[in-house]
Amino acid sequence: MTVNNLSVGYHTRKGFIKSVQGVSFALDQGKSLGLVGESGCGKTTIGMAIMGLLPDNASVTNGKILFEDQDLLKMSKREIRQVRWSKIAMIFQAAMNALNPVHRVSDQISEAILAHDTDISEEEATKQVQSLFQLVGIPMDRLKDYPHHYSGGMKQRAIIAMALACHPSLIIADEPTTALDVIVQDQILNAIKDFQDKLKISVIFISHDIAVVADVCDNIGIMFSGQLVEYGRVEEVFNLPMHPYTKSLVASYLTLDKDNVQLSPYFGETPNLIKPTAGCSFCQRCSVADATCRLMAPEWIEISPTHKVLCFQCK
Amino acid sequence: MAENRSTQILNDNRRSPKKFPIVDRFLEGWSVYRENLIGKIGLTLLVIFALMALSSFFTPMIDPMYHPMTGVDPNISYSTGPSWHHWLGTDFIGRDILSQLLAGARIAFMVGISAAFMSILFGTVIGMIAGYSGKIVDTLLMRLADMVMVMPTLLVVLILSSLFGQLNIWTIVLLIALFRWPGVSRVIRAQTLSLKERPFIDAAKVAGASHFRIIFRHIMPNVLPLSLLYMTFRVTSAIIIEAALAFLGFGDPSAVSWGMMLQWVWKTGNMFQAPYWLLPPGICISLITLSFYMIGRALEEVLDPRLRKEVAQE
Amino acid sequence: MEIRKFVLKRLIEIFIIFFVILTVLFLLFRLAPGDPVTRMVDPTMTPEDAAHLIAQLGLDQPIWLQYVYYLKNFFTGNFGISFHYGVAVFSIIMNRLQNTILLFSTSILLSAFAGIFLGKIASWHKGEKTDTWMTIGALICHTLFLPWLALIMIWMFGFSIGWFPLNGMISPEIWLDPSSGFWLKFLDIAHHMVLPLATLFLIHFGSYLLLMRSSMLDTLKEDYILTARAKGLEEKVIRNKHAAPNAALPVVTSVGISLAFSLSGGALTETVFSWPGIGRELVFAVSNSDYPLAQASFLLIATVVLVSNLVVDVLYAYLDPRIKF
Repeated sequence: MTVNNLSVGYHTRKGFIKSVQGVSFALDQGKSLGLVGESGCGKTTIGMAIMGLLPDNASVTNGKILFEDQDLLKMSKREIRQVRWSKIAMIFQAAMNALNPVHRVSDQISEAILAHDTDISEEEATKQVQSLFQLVGIPMDRLKDYPHHYSGGMKQRAIIAMALACHPSLIIADEPTTALDVIVQDQILNAIKDFQDKLKISVIFISHDIAVVADVCDNIGIMFSGQLVEYGRVEEVFNLPMHPYTKSLVASYLTLDKDNVQLSPYFGETPNLIKPTAGCSFCQRCSVADATCRLMAPEWIEISPTHKVLCFQCK
Repeated sequence: MAENRSTQILNDNRRSPKKFPIVDRFLEGWSVYRENLIGKIGLTLLVIFALMALSSFFTPMIDPMYHPMTGVDPNISYSTGPSWHHWLGTDFIGRDILSQLLAGARIAFMVGISAAFMSILFGTVIGMIAGYSGKIVDTLLMRLADMVMVMPTLLVVLILSSLFGQLNIWTIVLLIALFRWPGVSRVIRAQTLSLKERPFIDAAKVAGASHFRIIFRHIMPNVLPLSLLYMTFRVTSAIIIEAALAFLGFGDPSAVSWGMMLQWVWKTGNMFQAPYWLLPPGICISLITLSFYMIGRALEEVLDPRLRKEVAQE
Repeated sequence: MEIRKFVLKRLIEIFIIFFVILTVLFLLFRLAPGDPVTRMVDPTMTPEDAAHLIAQLGLDQPIWLQYVYYLKNFFTGNFGISFHYGVAVFSIIMNRLQNTILLFSTSILLSAFAGIFLGKIASWHKGEKTDTWMTIGALICHTLFLPWLALIMIWMFGFSIGWFPLNGMISPEIWLDPSSGFWLKFLDIAHHMVLPLATLFLIHFGSYLLLMRSSMLDTLKEDYILTARAKGLEEKVIRNKHAAPNAALPVVTSVGISLAFSLSGGALTETVFSWPGIGRELVFAVSNSDYPLAQASFLLIATVVLVSNLVVDVLYAYLDPRIKF
């Protein structure tokens, strides 16, 4: 999949919020990409745009999303519905409410299977659900239960099982571990790594937690205020963070085996997404910004063939 | 920079001392209310009815034949349609229908507001006591509320009137209030329960305030806006119950209410021939119900900021 | 198993409430101004019959013994003799009860289903003309005064157009004629039922519609709806299969809460349409000072309210899998 120069915004009473501005990246089959950034940086919007699930007040002002040689943004509603789940599936934040309380869990998963495979019978669909449950590690006797009988971790695993139900080639995971405790988090991450290896599914992993992404992904994209500011292989970005924002993200990630516990907190307010400034949006919080940064939009600088950064100061 | 800002606020306060925070809250609420179309329509209708009620005091002064109960047109002794003298026609013994309608507005307000006020009074006090006391008192009171709430008010008042004979309008008001308080008390109780945990209550306790004082001086002001909201709903149900009672023939014979008018048109067999008599009282009851409903909805928006259609916060 | 425990618990609660009502009524009838004897015994009875009845009801005994007699009579179905009809009260109220249940349950079911269905549609077209008109219509119907609406219905459809009978539940000619078959009698009742049913329906469906509409709008914002969309399901399927069942639950609750109000409305409707139900019987009995009948009618209505509440609670528990006992 290739995302080309995507720009998305939301119409609100206060104005048109430019939530995503000119984001481009490419993802190969079987590889995973992590999108990291703070709340409101636009990463969830990208996920929603790919699935075609943007709310009514959102509009894509620019760009293409190429998947299997087709531009997803130009598809009709019916075509998108067919692509959804069978080719691209999504795991949402807050699994707490992602399952319908009045339907059984297995019914909800078989619904997805039956919706995309018209030849299959209900019994076969149920059998597939059983093997999915085995895959994610949910006991068989929980098949007929309702969502409220499940614990948080189990619910999330059921959601993963549901996402895998139609054998998609891409899964977008939006903060899948945020509401869970650390141990369960670990289990879920291992499960994701597992099916990525075994089933060769591509993953776009959206999170605000750079540590989690580093664990799971091959490539990483750092987002700030609607723009992609750094992109590269996980090892590169982590060991050699170039953009000031990336540096502060990596630095605030405390490890048990490092001694340098030097926190670099940030100053300044959240950037205005309705009327973005002419220069670099990170200026206010940047420790190395100069006059050029404030006046002109930054350009991409290539650190290595796989590592680029959007900043004047990073040479 | 920060210092200047706080001294600025201080100076502002000194210039216009806020002696009455209640007035400020009211004005703020009013500005939100004004934005609401439904509320404005409701209020307009209510004002019209209020004017009707007020003018009912004056109509008999124009000419004694316009008195709703006793005013009989010397020239007419049966039901007639609208005419110059009688804009809505006359009833079966020649009384002016319009004057009856105006008097009905007066009764509606009287019954509605007094019954609502009393039921809110009972409900608020009981709700506060239940919420504040907890344990046995709470359980007992709430069980009582459950029982009273389950009963159809109209039918209860009916059976009571069978025992006590013809009811006086104020007795009716009292009876309505006695059976309509549970709904309010639940909400007030919930509110009291949450307020009970707040620090300012603890502070009052430490300062040595008696329970009574705490309830009435500290909890009540915070609970009042909710009470007022529920009062709008109670007014409509009180008016409807009184109208239903009068319609069935159990109302106060000396009180000309809209329900009473409907009873007359029905029982005297004029139902099919006198639309000018049949339609107005029913329309009035429905419209006043509608207006209070609208006002209630608008008030909900004022009191619960979450419901306001303000600028979306992104 | 859990449902049985729940039902049992509620039945006990109902029993307690009922007991309280019985006792309160007992006290009221004894303590109200006037002679309680004239309340229970028809003044036009012969002295021997009166004496017999007084002994049976225990009116010449001390008050606590009267209470015992009262309870015993109640549980054996002895409510006394109606002043007006001259027959046992029990048979009268049982006969009326079935008529009320027929009218009442049909109207509630119809208005609940219609309200849910239309409210769902209104929420689909939120902001458009369909929605605006439906909401306004529901609001207006909801605020109409029931007896007045009933009179208008009779006037318009019974009198002016003559499509429906003006009152009553049956046409005596059909029922007295031995050759009338079952279907003819059935249709006759249905024919008489149309206007009262329509009146009750109009008054009640509005509130269900408005409630369902706002419930749907809230439900559609839930996360599981987003999941359903992401699964690639059609909008229609999402609304009907995923959103509507969740949105309908609060409406079911509100049916239970408004039962008491519906019964009052039912009594008014029965009176205007002369539908021989228990509500109308109560009104009549009170007007005629037929105390035994009035008391028994009231108690029966109270029973209906309590039992209906229980039924609605059980139904809700059945519909919402999240309810735990």
